[in-house]
Amino acid sequence: MSQAAVVRQRTDPAIGRATVAGMGAADPAWLRARRDEAWAIYQATPMPSTRSEEWRYTDLARKLQLDDLVVADGHTGPAAGALLPGPLRRTMEQDGDSAGRIVDVDGKVVSVELDESLARQGVVLTSLREAARQGDDNIRRLLATAAVPATDGKFPALNAALWSDGVFLRVPSGVTIERPVRLSRWVSRSGSATFTRILIVAEASSRLSFVEETLSPDFDRTTLVNTAVEVFSRGGAQVQYVSLQRLGRGGFYLANQRTLAERDSTLDTLNVALGGSVGRVDLNARLLGPGANSDMLGLYFGDADQHFDFNTSQDHVSPHAHSDLLYKGALDGSARGVFRGIIRVHEGAQGTDAYQTNRNLILSDDAIATSLPNLEIGADDVRCSHGATVGQLDAEALFYLMSRGLTRGRAERLVVLGFLGEVLSRLPLGGVVEKVTNAIVAKLRNV
Amino acid sequence: MPGNEVIQGLGLDDYKFGFVTDSEPVFRTRPGLDAEIVEQISARKDEPEWMLKRRLKALRIYESKPMPQWGGDLSELEDTLRQTYFYVRPQEQMERSWDDVPDSIKETFERLGIPEAEREILAGVGAQYDSEMVYHSLKEEWESKGVIFDSIEDGLKNHPELFREHFGKVIPAADNKFAALNSAVWSGGSFVYIPPGVELKTPLQAYFRVNQERLGQFERTLIIADEGSRAHYIEGCTAPVYSTDSFHSGVIEIVVKREARFRYTTIQNWSNNMYNLVTQRALVHRGAHMEWLDGNLGSKLTMKYPSCYLMEEGAHGEIMSIAYAGDGQHQDTGGKVIHVAPNTSSSIVSKSISKGTGRSSYRGLCKVYDGAANARSNVECDALLINETSRTDTFPYIEIDEKSATVGHEATVSKVGDEQLFYLMSRGMDEAEAMALIVRGFIEPIAKELPLEYAVELNRLIELEMEGSVG
Repeated sequence: MSQAAVVRQRTDPAIGRATVAGMGAADPAWLRARRDEAWAIYQATPMPSTRSEEWRYTDLARKLQLDDLVVADGHTGPAAGALLPGPLRRTMEQDGDSAGRIVDVDGKVVSVELDESLARQGVVLTSLREAARQGDDNIRRLLATAAVPATDGKFPALNAALWSDGVFLRVPSGVTIERPVRLSRWVSRSGSATFTRILIVAEASSRLSFVEETLSPDFDRTTLVNTAVEVFSRGGAQVQYVSLQRLGRGGFYLANQRTLAERDSTLDTLNVALGGSVGRVDLNARLLGPGANSDMLGLYFGDADQHFDFNTSQDHVSPHAHSDLLYKGALDGSARGVFRGIIRVHEGAQGTDAYQTNRNLILSDDAIATSLPNLEIGADDVRCSHGATVGQLDAEALFYLMSRGLTRGRAERLVVLGFLGEVLSRLPLGGVVEKVTNAIVAKLRNV
Repeated sequence: MPGNEVIQGLGLDDYKFGFVTDSEPVFRTRPGLDAEIVEQISARKDEPEWMLKRRLKALRIYESKPMPQWGGDLSELEDTLRQTYFYVRPQEQMERSWDDVPDSIKETFERLGIPEAEREILAGVGAQYDSEMVYHSLKEEWESKGVIFDSIEDGLKNHPELFREHFGKVIPAADNKFAALNSAVWSGGSFVYIPPGVELKTPLQAYFRVNQERLGQFERTLIIADEGSRAHYIEGCTAPVYSTDSFHSGVIEIVVKREARFRYTTIQNWSNNMYNLVTQRALVHRGAHMEWLDGNLGSKLTMKYPSCYLMEEGAHGEIMSIAYAGDGQHQDTGGKVIHVAPNTSSSIVSKSISKGTGRSSYRGLCKVYDGAANARSNVECDALLINETSRTDTFPYIEIDEKSATVGHEATVSKVGDEQLFYLMSRGMDEAEAMALIVRGFIEPIAKELPLEYAVELNRLIELEMEGSVG
């Protein structure tokens, strides 16, 4: 695979106003205006520093030099029909059945497939950029407005200004998609910055599951992959969103995700972090109607000097909603895991049920786990709890397995798999469990 | 669900000790703070030069540090500080016997029940009235064992070397803005030394009381529990209600040497216009035990996080914290445990009750450094919400750099359950009685840890107030 552009040439697009203008050249006027506005917000917003509570443990000043990056403008991907990179093809072959599939290479959608019967029922799966240019009204209303607007922070603003492409998925009322819709994303250029967005709208009483997987080779320099994920579930809809982050070393993954669950809808998420050098996910789940439910799952396994930082929030805006978060991580080498989560029960959100659990397994002397599970409760008729643990491998479980003849190494691997497997068993989507399990096993071989 | 009138009727907020005694202070500085005032305080106390230098240096640190932007709302504090008298001295002489204490001050203590406690139970009382120890007695047997229980000023005068060895070492002036302030203007507090192997069966007790409007009280306590000793120190506070804001900022330094056991108990019931910003820290050495028992009932805003630094192998730290936040109150409390050495263990148990517009926040830190092998820590926080307008938060920080550490944190938030109330009422209790019983049951695990003597204080403050509303 190619690793072009080791050093940014003068002609390469940098993060700046000219690139914003270039990115929006073929966009409708409303979208160009939205990009410009986002760029203004980006410029007016200071870079998050470790002095701010939310970035206390991830030092961007040390880990990310934005000025050195070449923006992937969506023009450098392979031509339609060109052979996809080998690792991407191989991981796609491991996927189970799909109802639809979209492939994104270096910030550009290169192929879209959707089950014909679903298309006939009005399901839309398309390149976000195409849909925006064709004037889809949903996009105009919902893109970077209600879920991840530019005003959310430095990176949401940067993404809203510079996004090159992404996915738009809309499932009409009452339509059920049984098999997952998959996004396979590949980033090839070392030193590049890719900005993509995902907009998912599940109309009333519809059902869908969406699995996103991001891969890349190892990079010799910091390479940024930034996504903004916006998911809407209307009354009674059921949505599952899964993100598998399997970047190569040198990758800096930065995701801003927000889910908005309306009355009686279910909106579950799973974030898996295995790759990259730095992974930072900001996930905000908003429970907007009675009966809304969000299960929020996370799994991370860091080794060498990997650094994973999850910043989650559960906003109970409406009474009588439910949310349950479970993030589990294993840390080896000199890896660092940071979990900062908050349950906010807004005033008047009576009858809230909200839970939050973070568990960490430390496998080496140099690994560090930091856990900050917070609660802010503004209503009295609530059931809320949170728990956090940090510990090592269960000595009794190890002893038992070794007494059955397993070597120490195998016993340890089995215990780690069992520990992390709990998360996968809560959202057993076709292809995901096997793929993640295999990836963990591969990492454990190095332990 | 009981109606609001029932809850209001519980009278949790009635302040029973809101009386003012007339007493003329002998000397006080003008309001506000500068180097001249610090010099006056030091001169008044006839201090050695090194202490004055320390105070002035601390003042510069205080002035250079910004107001904290986290925790409670301190936006009105600067105004309060401008009007604060940083030093008030009520009497010229330390009193040796109860009969010599002026009647007006006696009256204040009497209304708080101190004389009975003194006569019947208390072995030694360091009662702090305004900024100075006015009454101080020490049981004879303790003196024979070599125990020192002095005012902090006498500690400096009579035991200069021991004092200088430890003062400001546990909590340096630069630790935080209010520790710096205290280090500049401290006045009053206790100096305690327990010699090696000495075990005290009766607790050492100090009673703190602020009686001067706009008086800042900056008590400073230094405790050294030498190797293998065992002791318990109790401090309790109540204060009259005043119309303008008051300010209290103490610094408590404790050194628990090898194999010693020490417990420090605070029951804080400042009036509801008091800012209470306290730094409490203990250094715990090999095989030693330190326990903080921290009750916060009063004040407008309390920010207090007693901490245990587990410095050597086998050290153990415990923090038990109970907070009650009524209308307009914010209790921002919790605890910190820092594991530096192998085989150290710690536990934090925090319980809070928020009523009316009250807000209670748990804020805590559990830090395990690399090399603190087999460190174990457990944190439990339970919050009880009484009204729709009540608020609670939990902000734990867990930072683990050690593979073999085992750390757990659990928190729950609940309200008084309809089923619990229904059950008790079906047994013949009225709603208020049932509510009071449930609240008492909630705090019981911590309340039972208090020794009988000053538990009277906590029990009276919580239980009587609640029972008073019944029937």
